[in-house]
Amino acid sequence: MNPDILSVTIQDPGDGIRVLSVAGEIDHDSVDVLRDAVEQALADGRDRLVADLSAVPFCDSGGLSLFVETHRRTTARGGWLRLAGPQAPVRFTLNVSHLDAYLNVHPTLDEALAPPS
Amino acid sequence: MAVEADPWHTLVAELLDRSHLWRPEDLGGVLDRAAAPLGLRMTVWVADAEQRSLRALAVPGRATPAPLPIDSHAAGSAFAMVESVVADGRRWVPMVNGTDRIGVLEVEAPGQTARDESLARPCETLAGLVGHLITTSLPRGDSLHLARRSGPMTAGAELLWQLLPPLTVSVADFTVAAVLEPAYDVGGDAFDYTVDGRRPQFIVLDAAGRGLRAGLAAAVALSCIRATRRSGGDLPAQARAADGELLRQFPDARFVTAVLAELDLDTGVLRYLNAGHPPPLVLRAGAVVETLTDGRRLPLGIADPRASCGEVTLRPGDRLVLYTDGVTEARDAAGEQFGQNRLADTVERHAVGLPVPETLRRLSHTILAHQSGPPTDDLTLLLVEWSAGAARRTVPPTSRADERQE
Repeated sequence: MNPDILSVTIQDPGDGIRVLSVAGEIDHDSVDVLRDAVEQALADGRDRLVADLSAVPFCDSGGLSLFVETHRRTTARGGWLRLAGPQAPVRFTLNVSHLDAYLNVHPTLDEALAPPS
Repeated sequence: MAVEADPWHTLVAELLDRSHLWRPEDLGGVLDRAAAPLGLRMTVWVADAEQRSLRALAVPGRATPAPLPIDSHAAGSAFAMVESVVADGRRWVPMVNGTDRIGVLEVEAPGQTARDESLARPCETLAGLVGHLITTSLPRGDSLHLARRSGPMTAGAELLWQLLPPLTVSVADFTVAAVLEPAYDVGGDAFDYTVDGRRPQFIVLDAAGRGLRAGLAAAVALSCIRATRRSGGDLPAQARAADGELLRQFPDARFVTAVLAELDLDTGVLRYLNAGHPPPLVLRAGAVVETLTDGRRLPLGIADPRASCGEVTLRPGDRLVLYTDGVTEARDAAGEQFGQNRLADTVERHAVGLPVPETLRRLSHTILAHQSGPPTDDLTLLLVEWSAGAARRTVPPTSRADERQE
């Protein structure tokens, strides 16, 4: 509920990629912190985004909406969004919503950065 | 030879004559005056949106009594069980619109005995008429809306309740009932159904986000589904119509999860489509016998053209539970979720001998009691039962007897 409990740290490992490392619960109130980070990345010309979710214990439909929107926007620019390292509760949410069949989900950050071809 | 007018007919005629020009707030007084020649005093009580209290409509010249708790008053039993109850020298008569529980009619019989069973039939018939009249008079103004509320309603909730059909409908061998919480602040949850022919359809949906904007997305999805259904489209076509329009109206990728289902009342075959929604449960003889995990597709708003329906065959008497994630994810103070198992157990605990809408009312209150603090998400439940017994239990007793004679 408290946006202060969500933080996003940014890393640019090269190759036009930006990693957004998210820590905290993503819900309708806190999601704007992540939305701002996405907007900034797109404004900076980054359209290959990795959202590292390994420190996210919970994500509601507000977070899922942002992932879908970001997936569409980056794809439209020839880029991509990859979700990395979701923990069990977030994997469950992605599975129930069937969005794991639509979004690019990778078990770890390393695999998101260099997915097996 | 002159025919003597039946006094109950005179009462009904007076009520209908006055209803043409009445203001919504006149209903209680008109009824009470029309009942006076029969030596009866009548008070109309309507249930509040959260179904916890019954609230009296005003009668001029009489103090309006305080609300009555449904869980611990004879009036509440009449409402909950759809049964006439005689207590403290008065008769509490269930008041439905068709099978949708509206409230209770209180009948006092000074100088006679309220226990007189010859009152049962005319009182229940009259209460049914008043239930219809309340429903048709609601849109005339705000006072009947306000009478059914214990608090203010948000714009999102105003939008949503306008969209929804009555909470309960039954036909001969099929009943569907729904409940939505928080009643005064629902955002993006919705339900719908049809009971035409032998293939009723029913849906539950949950728009991403909260508040009025989520309500708008729910409205778009629901309207597309209805329009497609009414022009003959099947479940996948209904979902596709919602996909396209959500994308046009909400470029920010707002999606709506949903279950769309159709039950064949002659064969028991249930066809369903699950667009990113928690899986429906089939309950039989007190246990979950199926979790409906087929028919999956992406949430509405994200095209999934390959989607096809799942199918399962129900048995007579089976119950089907559709619910949104706000139900299973309701967390108590320790963070523990209500969960699917507790949901199934609680349905069964509150199912034996109760009308379907009463099972749902108690279930929703159990979930809200589990939840610590105000709900962070909407919760919606829809319960379907394929049986003549369940349908009969939603009808007032004297009409029930008529059904059996047919």
